Formats: sequence, C-alpha cells, structure tokens
Amino acid sequence: MPNLKRGVFASSTARLLFLILMLLLPAMPLAASAALARQAEINLTILHVNDTHGHIIPYLDKSVDSARPVGGAEYLAKMVERERAANPRGTILLSAGDMFQGTPVSNLFHGKPLVEIMNYLCYDAMALGNHEFDWGQDVLQSIISSASFPVVSANVFERGGRRIRGVRPYVMLKRKGLRIAVIGITTPDTFYTSKPGNLTGLTFVHPEKVLPAIIRRVRAQGASIVVALTHDGVDADRELARKVRGIDIIVGGHSHTAIKDPVIESGTVIVQAGSNGIYLGVLNITFDRAKKKILSYTRKDELRLVSPASGAQLDPKVAQIVDKYEAQVKTEFSKVIGTAAADLTRDPTRESDLGDVVADAMREASGTQIAFQNGGGIRSDIPRGPITLEAVFTSLPFDDDLITMDLTGEQIRELLEKSVLSENMLQVSGIQIVYDLSKPAGAKAVSVEVAGKPMEPQATYRVVTNDFLASGGNQFNIFKKGRNISAGSPLRDAVADYIRKNSPINVQARDRIVFKN
Amino acid sequence: MKQNIDVYVNDQKISLYRGMKVKHALIAYDQSLYKAALDGEIRVEDANGFTVGIEGSLTDGSKIFTIATA
Repeated sequence: MPNLKRGVFASSTARLLFLILMLLLPAMPLAASAALARQAEINLTILHVNDTHGHIIPYLDKSVDSARPVGGAEYLAKMVERERAANPRGTILLSAGDMFQGTPVSNLFHGKPLVEIMNYLCYDAMALGNHEFDWGQDVLQSIISSASFPVVSANVFERGGRRIRGVRPYVMLKRKGLRIAVIGITTPDTFYTSKPGNLTGLTFVHPEKVLPAIIRRVRAQGASIVVALTHDGVDADRELARKVRGIDIIVGGHSHTAIKDPVIESGTVIVQAGSNGIYLGVLNITFDRAKKKILSYTRKDELRLVSPASGAQLDPKVAQIVDKYEAQVKTEFSKVIGTAAADLTRDPTRESDLGDVVADAMREASGTQIAFQNGGGIRSDIPRGPITLEAVFTSLPFDDDLITMDLTGEQIRELLEKSVLSENMLQVSGIQIVYDLSKPAGAKAVSVEVAGKPMEPQATYRVVTNDFLASGGNQFNIFKKGRNISAGSPLRDAVADYIRKNSPINVQARDRIVFKN
Repeated sequence: MKQNIDVYVNDQKISLYRGMKVKHALIAYDQSLYKAALDGEIRVEDANGFTVGIEGSLTDGSKIFTIATA
C-alpha cells in the first residue's frame, strides 16, 4: 500500500515536474548563456603605489590635510590586505618606482625598511625609478638581490645591450587563468637627475623604441592584458599611449600626480597614485575573456587616502618593521662623525666658519673649481667638539642637492655683485673676493681671484651650487644660465662625508670675502 | 635632448634645467609660493586639474597652476 500510494504520488509529481520543465525550457538557453557570460567576465584589482620616497611613517602634508598626518606603511598594508580579501584570486600589487630615497629612516639604511615591507606585502612587480640609482649601482644591486619581488625595466641597458643584473624587461603574472604582462619603463631623464658616476655604462632608451617588440612578444606568449609600469611622468605616459599601440593600462609614477579619476588616452587607461605613500590606487577592471578586451574599469575616485585617523586599522607586522628602523634612526643620528676644533658658526650676511666648511664640502664632493652656497640655507651653528649626524641635519634642514655647471668669469662677477647686496650672501670656496663698499652697486667687487689668479671675464669655470640656487632662488638668476649641467649628491651627504674625512675641522680665518671702506 | 626645458607656472613661461621639479618651477616663478606650498597654503595642479607633489617631475611644456587652499 504504501507503495501504491507512493506510486500515485510519484506519478503526479512527475507530471507536475514535466509541466514545469516544459514551461521553463524556452528560458534555459538564456540562463545558460548568462551564466557563461558571467564566467567569461573576469574581475581584476590592480593595486598600485609610486614615488613613496621612503615615507613609511605618517607625516603632516598640509596640502592634503592641514591638521592630521597622512600616509604610514602599516596603514597602507592593512588597506592592501582588505582589497586582497575582496578579490583573493584576482588582485595584483604594483609599484611604479622611486620607493627608497627621500627620508632619514630609509636613506640611512639604503632602502632596507622599504624592501622588508615590500617583501612582506608580496609586491608583484616594481619599476626602476630614476632615484633608484641615487646611491650608485652597487647599492641598487644590493636592493635588487634582497627583494623578493621582480624589478622591471625594459629600456635600461648596460654596455653591449645587456640588462642590469636582476632586472627583467617584464613579468608575466597569472590571475584567474589570465596572463597579465607587466612591462617596466624608466625615465630617460634619469641622466639629468642622477650623479653621472652612478650611471656609468648605462643607456636609457626611449620607451617607444623598445615597447612595440616587447608587446608583440608578450602577446605571443598569451598575455591578455598589457600593463606598462612606468616611471616617466603622466605627460610622457599620455604621449606613450598615443605613440605605442597595444598598452591596455599604464600604471605610472615620477610626476607625483594624484590622478583621482583615471585618464583615457588613445584607449589606454592611465593611473598614478600621487607620492610619499599618501594614496593607494585601486583600479578594478572587468575583462571579457571571449571578446579579449576590458569591458569596464574604475572611472571615478580611484585613489584611497592612507591615513592613521582614529579607527584606522594597521598591520602589526609592518608597524614592527617601521618601529625597528625608527629606533635605529635615533642611534644613527647620535653617532659622532667627526669633531670641530672650534665653534662652527653661521652668518648669512658675511663669510662664516660654517659657510666655509659647507662650501668646501661641496667643492670636494663635486671636484669643481668654485662652490657657492646660500647663507640662509645654513640654519644652526655646530658647537666645538664631537659632531653628530643629527647636527648636520639640523644645520642643513633642506633637502638640497648639488648641481654643477659651467659659468663664465663675467657671470660669476655678476653673482658676486648680487651677493654683496643680498641678505643671504653666498658662502664660497675656491674664490677670494675683495669688496669696496664705497663703490657703486655693480662695481663693488674690486678684486676676484680663483686659485690665486685673477678671474678672467671670458674664461669658463666649473662651479657647484645647490638646486635651490640653480633654479634662481634668492633671485640669483645667473645660476639659471649655466652650461653642462650635472646633478650631484645631496648637500647633507657631501658635508657629512667632508666632516668624516677632514676632522678635526679647523676654522682658522680664511678671508675669502673681505670688505674695505 | 636639450639641457633646458620650458614650463608654465600660472601661464607664465619659466626656463629650468631638465630634471628639475615642481618646487624649482615655483622658486623660479615666485619663491614665496614655494614656501606657501610647504606651509599648505597653496597646492599645485597640472593642466588636467590633478594635484601634483612639489617633488614631482616636469617635462618640456608642462603647465602647472597654484591653487589657494581653503
């Protein structure tokens, strides 16, 4: 009986199911195709930073927030973790270069804190930026060898067309069955921003000359998406997108541009995340596997502010790394690097002991005939006795770099006439000037000697100054007329090295700038 | 490549050495603006209206504008 009943029930249920099936049948192909379409659409998340410049500690950037600090590697790390959790199989993390140089906590350890953090966060690739060469090729090699992420640049070559050891032109990433080629580009302007000695044997080729062949190669290897990870500035990125076909996305750096809403140029999506670790770029894209193209991408508000504001979560492991190095900065700053035989005082209105030391250090670091430093750029005295690194940073608080150039004797005389009337007199090395203050403006320098010989108006002299003056700071516009310009080391490094090599620093009266009448 | 580039600060042409940055353009244009940028009294935008950092790079023909912050 039960079987009969069950049979009757089974029979009526079967009829009902049959009817439902018949009703639904026409709709099934549509549902199936929608499901297939969903399978063909792949969601990817490209996280990106650039130009962090050693900023791993939150700091006050008044142009972003006048009251609260921004940035901080431990907060950035937590944001990366959250984005990865939202798209665990489809997220990549990129850096468009210039990660290491820029703050004491990174500079003192040649970028090690950043490398540790980047290794921990498992970056998928980093482009070589121009400032990656700031500490020379040996330090760069050390950074590359300690990095567990790929370093990419397709347009930098050593002699004979070889790649820099450890640097690849591109990396092929795989996410959700898709191949994503990430090709690195380094600005050809690196030659104008780095010390020539740091670039010995290197050639920087224009990106448009190398990219087409590489794009063909990666497409042949199955790349569905081509990302150019560039360190060349947004203007150059736009030009690149116009000139080179086949780049889907440019993740850029170098111009420190906070591209809030992605730029489209000739069909290429261009993004960049400001600088100094203030923003995390989050580019969500939907790729159609069947049509082999990007269907949609983040069009608005691509940048997320990194902030330690109340309630912000942090990554404890990264916080630990930051704390470790921050504590070591204090130790490094308190280390004695030399001694002063007497007080090294400053005076922006005349020749000073400390002004002479700074100018001598600049001349020694650059190998030039003459050095000029603005007196106002030296902000505190260095007392007699042991000299710490902190004392150098306190005396020279600005991030000035050395710039060398050719100037004629006539141009130098014009500088000197400007200097004697300025509240920020030039501190000098390699040159002796006698001013007669009774003479009219423009004719006060009655005697000028270089290396003990009268300065010749038409002769060319190799001069070093800092980048503030070289851009016309304090109205010393003659520095903008130099020839054969070369970038140099940071001013503070030059002075610290000079103190290390020449201690005890003797401060006898040097009479480089003499006034009469 | 030529050694100098021309950039435009608030539509005024400024000549700089190649490799120089936004801060150098501000110093060359009006040194007080550089200090104002450091103090957060102004920010700098490019021709697309995007904020750029004062250590940002410039190319020949770059246009930047200083914007007073609120």
